[in-house]
Amino acid sequence: MNKEAPLSIAERDFILNALREDVRLDGRAADQLRPLTVSFGEEYGHVKVQLGRTSLIVRISAEVTKPHDDRPFDGLFTIAMELTAMGSPAWDNGRQGDLETYVTNVLDRVVRHSNALDTESLCIVKGVSCWSIRADVHITDYDGNLIDAACAGIMAGLQHFRRQDAVVKEGQVIVYGLDERVPVALNITHKPLSVTFHTFDEGKKVIIDATRKEEQASEADVVIGLNNAGDVCFMSKFSGSPVDAMVFVDKTSVALEKVKEINAIIDKALQADLAKRAKSGMLEMSRAENDRELEQ
Amino acid sequence: MVGPTASLTPLARADGSASYHCPSTGSNILGSVNAPVELPGRRDALKPEDATVEVFVKTGTAPASVGERYVEGIIRGVVGRLILGRERGYARRGVVITLAIVGGESVGRADSHLTLLPALLHTALLALLSASVPLSMTFSATVLSVDASGKITREPSAEVAAAAKSIHVLAFTSKGHLLLNESEGAFDFDTWEKVRQRASAICHGTSTVGADGDIAMVEDADGQPLEGTIRETVEDQVHRDYAWKIDAA
Repeated sequence: MNKEAPLSIAERDFILNALREDVRLDGRAADQLRPLTVSFGEEYGHVKVQLGRTSLIVRISAEVTKPHDDRPFDGLFTIAMELTAMGSPAWDNGRQGDLETYVTNVLDRVVRHSNALDTESLCIVKGVSCWSIRADVHITDYDGNLIDAACAGIMAGLQHFRRQDAVVKEGQVIVYGLDERVPVALNITHKPLSVTFHTFDEGKKVIIDATRKEEQASEADVVIGLNNAGDVCFMSKFSGSPVDAMVFVDKTSVALEKVKEINAIIDKALQADLAKRAKSGMLEMSRAENDRELEQ
Repeated sequence: MVGPTASLTPLARADGSASYHCPSTGSNILGSVNAPVELPGRRDALKPEDATVEVFVKTGTAPASVGERYVEGIIRGVVGRLILGRERGYARRGVVITLAIVGGESVGRADSHLTLLPALLHTALLALLSASVPLSMTFSATVLSVDASGKITREPSAEVAAAAKSIHVLAFTSKGHLLLNESEGAFDFDTWEKVRQRASAICHGTSTVGADGDIAMVEDADGQPLEGTIRETVEDQVHRDYAWKIDAA
């Protein structure tokens, strides 16, 4: 199967005609995101993302491996996403569909190829050992806009994750457990996120964060990946009907605004989680400062 | 002993789903069931009058390996015995069970997958109940490890399991019959019999152990029998779902 049940003609017309009157099915404005919540699990790098009715879990993990021969100074970073029947009954287990290939490719481009994670900082011993960081994306509910949700999840996970400390002593690599030494945060160079637009009515109507039904009714999609500073690191017009060049120009500023909005949500969630951990975690125990009464 | 916690139908798209957390092994599983669904290319299945059960276990943080395929086979065997695949609407259709390991330490390539098995089995069962798939019975399962001194540990953590001499997974049906017995490592029959008694007590309470007071004391530490936990989870959900009807009555 690997394909969602198609929309009926009536449904498609309804969505389109409503959009012509600037109305979306869920009453949002054209460039308004669905409510986004980012929460963290017990372990480091365990993120739950809920974007409207799309939800997913990202887990970041690290292990020590041998670097590639042609890049002895670089660690490894992989993004693994597999669509299973859990996210949508239309997806087959163990069979790769078009959507999976497409989304994996976009995530790879936006997060990995833009060097969001500094892989050189993952090197332990040149050409011998390095950290391999793996981001697993589990889609638990699919209701459109997989790319943006997964992108936000991975970026939140990378910022939240703490790897074990590794030290080289007399040619030997020693990896300290999470309870032996304060775990180390990953080196994030910038925070790129993607924003997906869908076009309707011969490119006249452009909306962001489409739901599954809107995605199905749309003509084409445009993905723009950029960071808080406004550097565009990815832009694609993968399939569907042509899109006017002005859409790219206009919507890049909208995308920047949304990237800042999503990054602010992630930052807020991260701060809240760190504050919670600081009270009960290792960080408090390993603190070198003395508790002092502030005297005035 | 802190018992497992579970919730039914946390997901929106799947027909039935369940999340399950076992504090002692640290495993956290999310399961979904889609049934009955059309399976392309399975029209001329070997058993045309029966439903095809598909199980897929998705690793949390590692590439898929043979360990998951091995566990999938066991779960398919257990669940296939439960599902009434000849019920109306199920013949020649598929029951697709997807289990994702969303929390806890990941199992290494060479480690035993048995410690995860009871959590996976319970998640599959709860998800099937949530999807209203016709079942002939329910079950409860537990994992026990035996160390070199013969000490039996219930639902061992990864470290305890790695040091254990043998690991046993046992599942009992709701009527108390032995449904599944998977063991790993070296053990003799006396050890296995002890393990079976302990497992039976964990799943069904002390009544099956006999009148031996000493054993009953030990088993009281296990808290509520697992069978009861599963039953209560479903009962609670049904209560919530039918609140409108119960209130009206």
